[in-house]
Amino acid sequence: MVLKPNLVLPSAVVSVGDLNRLSRELSSLNDFFLSAAARKAGAAPPPRVTRILNSLATETNKYNLLDAKQRQNLAQELKTIQAIAPVMHISFASEPSPQAIERILVWLRTNIHPYALLQVGLQPTIAAGCVLRTTNQVFDMSLRSYLDRQKDYLVALVKGAVGD
Amino acid sequence: MNTGGLILVIGSLLSAAAAFIWLATKLKSGPPSPGGKPASPTSQIFEQAAKEDVDHIFNNEFREELRNRGRLHFEKVIGENAMFLQQDLRQTTSQLNDYMRAEITRTLQVEFKKYEQSITDAKALALDSIEKTVVTIEQQRKFLETQMLTQSEAQKARLIARFEVEMAGIVNHYILRAIGNQIDLSDQLEFILSELEANKVAILEDIKRGT
Repeated sequence: MVLKPNLVLPSAVVSVGDLNRLSRELSSLNDFFLSAAARKAGAAPPPRVTRILNSLATETNKYNLLDAKQRQNLAQELKTIQAIAPVMHISFASEPSPQAIERILVWLRTNIHPYALLQVGLQPTIAAGCVLRTTNQVFDMSLRSYLDRQKDYLVALVKGAVGD
Repeated sequence: MNTGGLILVIGSLLSAAAAFIWLATKLKSGPPSPGGKPASPTSQIFEQAAKEDVDHIFNNEFREELRNRGRLHFEKVIGENAMFLQQDLRQTTSQLNDYMRAEITRTLQVEFKKYEQSITDAKALALDSIEKTVVTIEQQRKFLETQMLTQSEAQKARLIARFEVEMAGIVNHYILRAIGNQIDLSDQLEFILSELEANKVAILEDIKRGT
């Protein structure tokens, strides 16, 4: 039985790799607190967490990373998300900006799945637009596909130009 | 010597011969009989004189003269005959030449006519063959023209069809070559989001099936 997570993924978490990094960082944080408790040699300053972990834990989901139970809950939630999150591969003609990825990811998480993850790739031949590959399908949303749908109009244009 | 002189000489010779013959006949018809009286001296003198005259007329010089005249006459006759013979020969040669020329001309004309006929036949045959060849070539040309036009039309139709099929790719390739990666992704976001919106149902269905 798969538990339904209550976590809200921030837009900074884009891919499976981000989830893995967050899990590793949480694990490292746990290790740090365990070793700090074992030493008992005064309060050592906790390590700086990354912006993405801070965004996930503190800003978006109000988790206290100093609390071991909450860290454990967060790690569990992340495992659950890794198990259920649909991963989609999206290709662009050029390297996309983080803002563009964020907008697409927000749309996907709003309209398709709240834990949708993206794997970004490059496909220079598509010129413009993108190609989205889900588990079973490929959605060609490139300029080539758009032009292909407009073929009749293009042919009419060419015929008009040749006729002139 | 002219003809008159020749006639005079021949006449004198004939008269001398006639006198000689008459004298011989006279002497023969009246010989002295054996029992008769001997001939008179006068007749003997005449006989002697006639004999001397004959000897005198037909002496060696006269005979030489006659031989010379005969030789000359013979040479003249021979010369005239040779001339006649030469004239005949020339005439014969001329006639023969004319005959040969005529024969050769006739034969050549016949041969030329045959040759001309052969040439005409060959020419007619060649013209006929050329006409047939021209007709065949024209038919071939028309056939090839039709075939090439058909193939050209088919090829054109194929090219146009392929161009229409590949139109999107061609325009896309042209855009790609023209602008490359210079289109900012931010400018494409609205297009991408609208495309995502258009495919929203299909994506949702696929995600549901996948999960």
